[in-house]
Amino acid sequence: VVTPLGTLDRTPPPFFRQGPSALTKLTFCSALAVFLMVADTRFKLTQPLRTVVATALNPVERVLRVPVDAWNGASDYLMGLQNALTQEAAARALLAKQAERASRVEQLQNENKRLRALLDLRPAITVRTQPAEVLYEASDPFSRRVIIDRGSTQGITVASPVMNEAGVLGQVTRVYPLSAEVTLLTDKDAAIPVLNTRTQGRSAAYGTATGSGMELRFMAGNADVQPGDVLHTSGVDGIYPPGIAVAKVLSVDRKVDTGFAKVSLQPLAPADGIRHVLVLEPLSLQMPPRPDLPAEEVVLRKKGARK
Amino acid sequence: MIMPRSSDQLLLPVNPLFVWFTLLLAFAMNLVPLGRNPAMPDFMALVLVFWNVHQPRRVGVGLAFVFGLMMDVHDGAVLGQHALAYTLLSFFAITIHRRLRWFTVPSQAVQILPLFGAAHAVSFIVRMVAGGMLPGWELLLAPVFEALLWPPVTWMLLAPQRRAPDPDENRPL
Repeated sequence: VVTPLGTLDRTPPPFFRQGPSALTKLTFCSALAVFLMVADTRFKLTQPLRTVVATALNPVERVLRVPVDAWNGASDYLMGLQNALTQEAAARALLAKQAERASRVEQLQNENKRLRALLDLRPAITVRTQPAEVLYEASDPFSRRVIIDRGSTQGITVASPVMNEAGVLGQVTRVYPLSAEVTLLTDKDAAIPVLNTRTQGRSAAYGTATGSGMELRFMAGNADVQPGDVLHTSGVDGIYPPGIAVAKVLSVDRKVDTGFAKVSLQPLAPADGIRHVLVLEPLSLQMPPRPDLPAEEVVLRKKGARK
Repeated sequence: MIMPRSSDQLLLPVNPLFVWFTLLLAFAMNLVPLGRNPAMPDFMALVLVFWNVHQPRRVGVGLAFVFGLMMDVHDGAVLGQHALAYTLLSFFAITIHRRLRWFTVPSQAVQILPLFGAAHAVSFIVRMVAGGMLPGWELLLAPVFEALLWPPVTWMLLAPQRRAPDPDENRPL
């Protein structure tokens, strides 16, 4: 049988110009990968490289969200009326529940303003916010992060708190030109100072290693914490505005031998399946600048210079 | 030239554009936002290993490294984590490619399973050293799914090379 020309790969493997061997390439690429890991985790040098790749991938990520959205949209289309009716009923019930509080807010705000003026306090800070949409959940199983569709071009800065209607979600940890990476509260590295609304006791909540909820660390064995307590942001960190709901205490395990209580929390904002979020400006940007030196000291120094 | 016994048919030369198209398609499949699922098979690793085995002169270690770097940025993982895993995966796939093609496709899947397992283990070790969270036991299923996908992927990606060399009206493809 004579095979026609072009049906077999006729280019012979090159004898001499084979380039570097696979082992050389392996050594080089592995060394480069290890170098990048160290540069990324220890020295934080890789942000420019990340920015370039993330900006290049951004349009692709946005396009690839379309089929997933279409799939969700199709089920919405079929179940649309049913869903709309149940959601409307739930929204009306919530509205009725909130009506009394909402009508008192204006009056309380005015009263608060007058009282603050009376006591000569600084007016409370109003926080600038920006709505954003979750682009995708990072599929990395070793962390809890989501990517939102606003970036440095829209004025998002690193460390901005992110929340939705239920409470705090997390904090912006990396900013790219067209997107930003939000580390959720359930991530192992997340930490947030909280205030127990029942006892007004301050503490710090951390993410856990398994990603199941959060925990209060360094609580004394006899600390006044009960299951069902609601924790809010305390505002002492200069990042989160005070009074946003964070989590609810699930269980308190008082061990005799350790001296510390193991307090498990459940974040009030669900970490999965969120779509719309609100990015707040970090409070530290609005704080008055730190005074450099007391005025008398400056005067003294000037006098000293003249001499 | 001794041909591997499993290939009962002489294959047409591969189209480089098809190789690139499948690599980019696999990358896009990894980018589809399906949420966080540790058991999700890594399509990029699968297609990379496939071309490493079947076209080691076209798809090598360097390309695997670049795709790994892009996966790292997309995942928000430690930069270099996927790059290292894909580099090692690619090197060992090229190392065993001559032996692997003598086996039938299901036995190839069995032989490729430890390779995928090792790649996930590299990622796991890197993240544990860097201080990541525990991913859950579902991560163990990912290499199994990747090995199970080996036969269908082999069938699909070799299909263009199995076309008839002289198409006529009875054999349009």
